[in-house]
Amino acid sequence: MKFLDRLEEWLIASLMAAATIVVFVAVVHRYLSGLPIPGVQDALIQLNTSWAQELTIYMFVWMAKFGAAYGVRTGIHVGVDVLVNRMNAPWHRRFVVLGLLSGALFTGIVGTLGATFVYELSHTTSTSEVLEIPMWMVYLAVPLGSYLMCFRFLQVTWAFLRTGDLPKHDHSHVEGIDPNEENMSGAKV
Amino acid sequence: MNALIIFVLLLALMLTGMPISISLGLTVLTFLFTMTDVPIESVALKLFTGIEKFEIMAIPFFILAGNFLTHGGVARRMINFATSMVGHWHGGLALAGVMACALFAAVSGSSPATVVAIGSIIMPAMVRQGYPKGFGAGVITTSGALGILIPPSIVMVMYSVSTNTSVGKLFMAGVIPGLMLATLLGLTTWYLARKHNYPRLKKATWAERLVAFRKSAWGLLLIVIVMGGIYTGIFTPTEAAAMSAVYAFIVAVFVYKDMGMKQVPKVLLDSASMSAMLLYIITNAVLFSFLMTSENIPQAMAGWIMDKGFGVVTFLLVVNVLLLLAGNVMEPSSIVLIMAPILFPVAMKLGIDPVHFGIIMVVNMEIGMCHPPVGLNLYVASGITKMGISELTVAVLPWLLTMLAFLMIVTYVPQISLWLPNLLYGQ
Repeated sequence: MKFLDRLEEWLIASLMAAATIVVFVAVVHRYLSGLPIPGVQDALIQLNTSWAQELTIYMFVWMAKFGAAYGVRTGIHVGVDVLVNRMNAPWHRRFVVLGLLSGALFTGIVGTLGATFVYELSHTTSTSEVLEIPMWMVYLAVPLGSYLMCFRFLQVTWAFLRTGDLPKHDHSHVEGIDPNEENMSGAKV
Repeated sequence: MNALIIFVLLLALMLTGMPISISLGLTVLTFLFTMTDVPIESVALKLFTGIEKFEIMAIPFFILAGNFLTHGGVARRMINFATSMVGHWHGGLALAGVMACALFAAVSGSSPATVVAIGSIIMPAMVRQGYPKGFGAGVITTSGALGILIPPSIVMVMYSVSTNTSVGKLFMAGVIPGLMLATLLGLTTWYLARKHNYPRLKKATWAERLVAFRKSAWGLLLIVIVMGGIYTGIFTPTEAAAMSAVYAFIVAVFVYKDMGMKQVPKVLLDSASMSAMLLYIITNAVLFSFLMTSENIPQAMAGWIMDKGFGVVTFLLVVNVLLLLAGNVMEPSSIVLIMAPILFPVAMKLGIDPVHFGIIMVVNMEIGMCHPPVGLNLYVASGITKMGISELTVAVLPWLLTMLAFLMIVTYVPQISLWLPNLLYGQ
C-alpha cells in the first residue's frame, strides 16, 4: 500500500516537472534556432520539437487522472458543505459517507466506460497525430486513474467509518510562515 | 422541463457536500441513463477529450509558478517594498497591506494564501502600532481577493477555456480594473485611517525605496514576463505560463534561496494535485455543458430572456446577484465553469462584449470570497486573527461596500475593462 502511495506521488510530481521542461525546451529551441549562429543554427533547425505540444497534453492528461486520485487521499476535492456542516453529528456522518460513496460510484462507472472504450480502441490502428503513439495507450489513463480514484474513495470511506477522520487539504498553508508563531502576539499589548 | 430537472438534481447533489466535480458528473450520468437517447459513447469520448486542449495546460503551469513564490520570504519582501512606498500616509501600514496583497496575490495566484502570508506578518505589526484588530482584518480579507483580477489569473484562463475568449485580451482587460479596485480599497483605508487618526510611518528615503524595490522586483518580474510575452507574441499564453514556472523556480531556489532543491518535489506534488483537482472539475464541467448544449438549454434561456424583453441592464443585474449568491458557497473556478457556458450565450445575444462579461464575472468572484456568511477569505482571516465570523463581517463592511460599488461601475461602464485591450489589440 505504501508502495502504491509513493508510486502515485512520484508519478504525478515527475509528470509536472517533465511537462514544464518540455515546453521550456521547445520555446528556447524555437528562439535559438532563429539566431544566426553558424553551426549551432543548422544543428538546431534539424531538431524537431513539434511533438512538444502533444506530449505536454498527454502528460497532463495522465497527471490529471492520477492527481485526482491522489487528491481524494489528501482531501483536496471540495464541495458545498454549508448545509452539511450545520447538521447534527449523526446526519453529518451519513452525508459524508453518502458523498464519498457517490464519488466511488461515479469513478467506478467512468472507469468501466473508459475500460470498454480503450478495449475497443485497442483493436483499431488509431494513433496520435505527431508522436504516433497508439491512442489506446494514451487513453489508458482514464480507466487506470478512475479505478484508482474509486479505490481511494472506498479507502477514505473505510477510514472515516473506523476513525471518524477525514483528510482535509489546507488551502491557506504558506511555506515560511507559521500563523501561530507570528500570531497576534502583539494583540495583548 | 428538462432544464429544471437537471438544475434541481445538480443543486440537490451539491448540497449533500460531495465534491463539485462528482456532483456534476453524476448529474450528467443520471440524466443520460434515464431521460435521453444521447449515446453513452459520445459521453465517454468527452471524458477523454474534455481537457485535451493546449490552452487549458496554462492552468497547471500558472499554479506551479505561483506555488514556487508562495513563500513567507516573498511576502516579506513585498511588504517591505509597499511600506517604503505608502507607509508615510495616513494608515500607512494598512495601506501597505493593500499594496502588498495586490502584488503577492498577483504573483501567487491564491487568495487564501495571500490572506495568510500578508495577514500573518502585517496584522500583528498593526496591532502593536495601536490599530484596532478589526481594521487590519478588514483590509487584508478584502485586499487578499485582488489576485484573481490582476493577471496572471487562473480564473480568467477558466473563463477563456469555457467561452473561447482570448486569454491575452482578458489578462490585459484585468489590469485597469485591478489597479482601480486596489486604489479604491486604499482610499477607503486612507479615509478611515485619517478619520480615526491611525499612526503613520516615517517616510522612507528614495534610496531605501530603491533597495526594497530591487529585492521584490524578482518576484514582480513574473507578471512582466507573462504579460509582455503574451502581448508581444513571443509566447502563447500556455508557453508564457510554463516560462513563468521555470522563472519562478529559478528565483525561489537560486535568487531568493527561500527554498532548497529538497523542497522542490513537495512544490511539484502540491501543484500537481491542485491542478489535477481543477482539471477534474473542468472535465466534468465540459461534460455538463455538453449535456446542456445537447438539450438546447442555453439557447432556450436566451430566447426566453429576449422574449421577456429584458435589457442589458436588467440582465447584468440578475447575473451579478446570481454570481454573488453562488460565490457564497462555491469557489471561483467551479462557478465560472458552471455558470459561464449558461450565461455566456445570453450575454452574446444581448450584444455584451465577451471580455467585458468575463471581467464582470471575475469581479463577482472576488467579492464572493469576502462576502459573509461563508466567503473563503473570511474563514481564513478568522483562522489567523481568532475573530468570529460575525465580528469579521462588521470589520470588512466598509471595504465590502467599496467593492460592491466598484462592481456596479465595472458592470455598467464597459470602457474600464475594454479600453486597454482595445488599445493594444485593436477593436
